[in-house]
Amino acid sequence: MVRKIAIYGKGGIGKSTTTQNTAAAMAHFHDKKVMIHGCDPKADSTRMILRGKMQKTLMDTLRDEGEEACMDLENIMSIGFGDIKCVESGGPEPGVGCAGRGVITAINMMEMLKVYEDNLDFVFYDVLGDVVCGGFAMPIRDGKAEEIYVVASGEMMALYAANNLCKGMVKYAKQSGVRLGGIICNSRNVDGEMELIEEFCKRIGTQMIHFVPRDNIVQKAEFNKKTVTDFDFDCNQANEYKSLSDKVINNDNFVIPEPLKMDELEELVVEFGILD
Amino acid sequence: MSVNVSGRDRQVIINPLVTCMPMGAMWAVLGINRGIPLVQGSQGCSTFVRYHLARHFREPIEIAVSSFHESTAVFGGKKNLNISLKTIVQRQNPDLIGVVTTCSSEIIGDDVYGFVESNKEELKDLGHDNTEIIPINTPSFAGSHFVGYNKAVDALIKNLTVINENNEGDDNKINIIPGLLNPGDVNEIKHILDVMHVPYTILTDISETFNSPLNPKKQEHPYFGKGGTTVDEIRNISANKGTISITKYAKTGAETLEQTHKVPAVTDNLPPIGIKGTDDFIMTVNKLTKHDILDTLMTERGLTLDLMADVSARYLAGRKVVIFGDPTLVTGLTSFIIEIGMEPVMVTTGSEEKTFPTDIENMSKGQNIDVITEGDLKVVEDYVKDKDNGVELILGSSEARFINYDTGIPLVRFGFPVYDRVGYHSQPIVGYRGAKRVVEMITNEVLAKYYEEKHWKLQQ
Repeated sequence: MVRKIAIYGKGGIGKSTTTQNTAAAMAHFHDKKVMIHGCDPKADSTRMILRGKMQKTLMDTLRDEGEEACMDLENIMSIGFGDIKCVESGGPEPGVGCAGRGVITAINMMEMLKVYEDNLDFVFYDVLGDVVCGGFAMPIRDGKAEEIYVVASGEMMALYAANNLCKGMVKYAKQSGVRLGGIICNSRNVDGEMELIEEFCKRIGTQMIHFVPRDNIVQKAEFNKKTVTDFDFDCNQANEYKSLSDKVINNDNFVIPEPLKMDELEELVVEFGILD
Repeated sequence: MSVNVSGRDRQVIINPLVTCMPMGAMWAVLGINRGIPLVQGSQGCSTFVRYHLARHFREPIEIAVSSFHESTAVFGGKKNLNISLKTIVQRQNPDLIGVVTTCSSEIIGDDVYGFVESNKEELKDLGHDNTEIIPINTPSFAGSHFVGYNKAVDALIKNLTVINENNEGDDNKINIIPGLLNPGDVNEIKHILDVMHVPYTILTDISETFNSPLNPKKQEHPYFGKGGTTVDEIRNISANKGTISITKYAKTGAETLEQTHKVPAVTDNLPPIGIKGTDDFIMTVNKLTKHDILDTLMTERGLTLDLMADVSARYLAGRKVVIFGDPTLVTGLTSFIIEIGMEPVMVTTGSEEKTFPTDIENMSKGQNIDVITEGDLKVVEDYVKDKDNGVELILGSSEARFINYDTGIPLVRFGFPVYDRVGYHSQPIVGYRGAKRVVEMITNEVLAKYYEEKHWKLQQ
């Protein structure tokens, strides 16, 4: 049975980096069959898995070659490191059209092609920063992703976005059964970061599933258009991603979060001394 | 004994009395000579309107559509609009294209104004610069077809009207915004103005485009229906003596003209339905133009009064009537129903017209009238079928035909849409002659339903 996972979080927090590294570790160390579906119009969710190859997006294919061409998997799906299957939704040019509708169209097409049911253990939806409209909530609607992980760091705005995301998913949780699997802390080396995130998780009723320390090797690997596992599977950071993927595979802590009110959130941040 | 205003008692609307905003806008654009509405949306948005108009008017209705597909919803409708405009301009070379937006194009945030501007440039480079292209924003979730009509007329006025230095026009021309009236009604208004020798511009004139003669020998290619207001006429309306908006929901254009070109606007009068309504209209025209009210009109008025005197007390007085439909027409007909001594027991309109309840209140002379705001056909049905209400006559559109079949209570058809009888769109209910026709229709239905064949009253 395939497990579908949606990764959310503030823009620039490292969703795509974390998703790709976790997926790579899953495939490499745990021998899982994994797929990444990038739902961001910027289409940068699979670049490292594909070792720098800029994949032609589903929306580009739809625009240039029509709907027929999208029905041929070869046109829209690439295979990368660790046999990870990669699809990018893409979207309209910045400033026009409706990117949210693009996400819906792309996921509908993938379901029509029955891609998600095709001999897979994990599907990752890498979604645009925040659930800004119904389209970007598509991955957590009924019958799609059952698990959500939020990437955050010990900064006010990252927690604010995480909290907002929780508000969004509560609306869907009852009918679709989607649950929060935990918060992944992608460290920024901020003071008291781990304590803050742990307290935040406790307050909203979830767990910090893993604390990913900051390590320059991530950037170095990215510079080489590779995931850390691909770049150097012996290094310490690869081990961190290995244990994150291990925790995700064995996770049984799924909850409907209780998002904080704005003043509670501010109080929390003040308490941990981020705002002087 | 009073007017009793209440809302619909449920959230859901069952059989709505209004339709979508783009339809109103397309209606207005179709009243332009050599004008084409272009729907910026998916195909149903034009097909449905064409069907709706065609079955009422029984005329070919030409509406273009930029044909949104799934991919358009994602990428935006710029390309669609560009190709559509080029195709229409090159093939038909119309005088005006009204770009009517729809729910989907509004939701995805198409910048239709920007699109139109860049397309105008491109068309100019191709050597086509004689077609006016007017964007009209009609997100249907934000209002009914009445609102769409209003927005379209306002957009036409804002975009086309030029400043006229010689505001001391030699003739006493006036502007009329008819609202969603039938060709028969528009013709009757023209007749009144013609009799008074008052020149006019109708904004916009569907009297011929929605009711045109079959005359194949005179057809041109590309085909455009006969009639309609010309673009040049609209350019010059700022020089006219005043603007009368017949319907309240279509008054924004008149107000715009008043603000930007100091053309006096008359917007809140009773429509010219019944004796008082028509009197008011004629007095307004007289005030704006100083043209005399001639005997011809007084004769028409007299004939209508004569018929009313003949039948009112004898057959109609006290009979209970339900009226539904267009807010302005319902207001006018309610006033007229009171004039002929019948009792309007319930009136409703599907529209958002805020002043509708107070308008009815103001004309009530102690009658018990239930005013239901934002009603639907189910409201009408429930009311008519409740025997305690003792309804004896329904005034409304063809939509109420099943209520008529079920209950046997006569339905006198007026307004839009009337698709199960012919001729209704070409005959008036406005003016003195229209009032006479309404009395005739009502009386004949009452005679057929409420008197036995050998009743003594039928012999005299």
